[in-house]
Amino acid sequence: MTDATRVPLLSMRGISKRFGGVEALAGVDLDVHRHEVVALVGDNGAGKSTLAKMVAGVLTPDTGLVEIEGVPVSIPTPAAAHALGVATVFQDLALCDNLDVTSNLFLGRELRDARGVRDDERMEQVARQILRDLTSRIPSVRVPLAHLSAGQRQSVAIARTLIGSPRIVVLDEPTAALSVAQTAEVLMHIEGLRDLGLGVVLISHNMTDVRSVADRIEVLRHGRNNGSFDARTTGYERILGAITGAVRADLGVPPVAAAS
Amino acid sequence: MTGSQSSLRGANRALVVETVKRYGGLTQVELTAATGLSPATVSSIVKELLAAGVVDTRGTIRSGRRAQLVTIARSTGLAAGVDVGPRHLRVALADVTREIVAEQSLPLPAEHRADTTLDRATLLVVDLLERVGATLDDLVGLGVGLPAPVEPGTGLVTVRGVLRGWDETPVVHVLAKRLAKPVLVDNEANLGALAESRFGAARGYQDVVYVSVGAGTGAGIVLSGHLHRGFGGTAGEIGHVQVDPQGRICRCGSRGCLDTVVGYPALVEPLVVSHGTLTLRDVVQRAADGDPGCRQVVADAGAVIGGVVAGMAMVVNPQCVVVGGELAATGEVLVQPMREAIARRVPLNQIVALDVVPGELGVRASVLGALAMVLEATDQAAATGSADMADPSDVAGGDAG
Repeated sequence: MTDATRVPLLSMRGISKRFGGVEALAGVDLDVHRHEVVALVGDNGAGKSTLAKMVAGVLTPDTGLVEIEGVPVSIPTPAAAHALGVATVFQDLALCDNLDVTSNLFLGRELRDARGVRDDERMEQVARQILRDLTSRIPSVRVPLAHLSAGQRQSVAIARTLIGSPRIVVLDEPTAALSVAQTAEVLMHIEGLRDLGLGVVLISHNMTDVRSVADRIEVLRHGRNNGSFDARTTGYERILGAITGAVRADLGVPPVAAAS
Repeated sequence: MTGSQSSLRGANRALVVETVKRYGGLTQVELTAATGLSPATVSSIVKELLAAGVVDTRGTIRSGRRAQLVTIARSTGLAAGVDVGPRHLRVALADVTREIVAEQSLPLPAEHRADTTLDRATLLVVDLLERVGATLDDLVGLGVGLPAPVEPGTGLVTVRGVLRGWDETPVVHVLAKRLAKPVLVDNEANLGALAESRFGAARGYQDVVYVSVGAGTGAGIVLSGHLHRGFGGTAGEIGHVQVDPQGRICRCGSRGCLDTVVGYPALVEPLVVSHGTLTLRDVVQRAADGDPGCRQVVADAGAVIGGVVAGMAMVVNPQCVVVGGELAATGEVLVQPMREAIARRVPLNQIVALDVVPGELGVRASVLGALAMVLEATDQAAATGSADMADPSDVAGGDAG
């Protein structure tokens, strides 16, 4: 839901980031409301992943303001992001091949019992429950990640976001290199997250996937905002126009695009 | 064996069957992990189920080792059903006993395009076949439901403009070429009617009207147990009955069609001021959760649709009206005003009142109908041609013994 009068779950204002001579982001704004899927699209190097990494606490902005539910925050580390209720699935998944499914799900936030001893049994129970809720097809939570298919690994990475009840989930290219059935499961899962009232940031190159589940599409081009579109009413052409620079938000709509 | 032991055994057996169905196919080692049963128990249950013809096993390789892949036993071939909705694609596989062996939904973009959607549908069918350890050779046919009236022979949409971007697509030919299998295409409301009358809320009724309420409204008519498609496949297209002579122009070109009054943009528009921009799913979910504004919108839609269905009920005189589609998930919020509107305008029968009931199959009605369509066609072919597929009820694997 895109209700402008309510305080956004996540609000980023004037975010800039430089890597030496490279201007990765220059004054980017992004709002995510609860119960909303915002797709972040753009060409390679447009700054999508850089922005996602700032939400995840991997990178910090040079300038700009980040607010979560109206409260200004700084997210210096991934642990800080987790504490603020931000869960992220990175493009390279960031899983450990040698560890089993349960260990991967709880990596760095293992459950402990009253005496402070790692509670393996409860972790396995929770893992089984979460995978079941995701209707993922991973029969065993004890199998090492190295033995799973690309789709199953993606399921594990997504299941990881559900540990610790997050408010915001960031997914960086979650459907790249998946079969259609696996893509279907990931997209159904994104719908499920939205139904739970979470805010979702989806980064993807696949316009069909993006338009299938997103409420709003934010286009980045060379580190700048280049248009915000309602996913339900905007066609492929307008969005592709914004991605490729045929339409420039800062220059207004050219006559050709306005006529279409 | 004592009573409690044998019932435990039965429960474990059911768990194994349930788990195999859930994952499609898995090895005995994976079954052990997924069920939490001991390897010995799993092994002996699989042996039993194999002997009873409930499961099949065959050799496979997992993690570089040889293993036994356990799948649900299938009786001569699988049918695939595809339901193309405005925002969702649903695909299911069933064997000749009507047992669903695999199912998957996929969200679709607004105004999705025929080429991408049919490509994804084809790939999804192939993926699901793989999931249950089958190949394209096992597929006996494909049934497709579209949210528009279609010409059965080619799968062309018969009314221009109602399904944007699909007008020139002969769905039957496109899919038959891709899969090299028989393809049947019908309207989603017709398939919903077929499914509800075969295994849903209208079981046992001869004359049925099924109303599918979602982004658009459509109806399917079953007369004397047979689906009535009409000469051009447009029977039951109540979404294009005029309800507001001063209304907006519809996609079909007429003015004030039912779809322009209770269709997708019309349903969410009145809520923009109070609720912001909602999707149809949001409206359904909130109405079901008791949100007064969303309930009002759904109830008002029910009353308008009921008025149109009343006219239809006068013509068809069904025994029951079944209400399905996405909005039917709100239950009585939608159905009660429909029932009232129909009762007010259908004064006919003092002896047997017209039942207006919610569907039992939910949003799966159309995909189940697509499967039923394929399997009934296969049964007929078997009855007239080779006899070996004749009576599927003999080989039903439901009783594990």
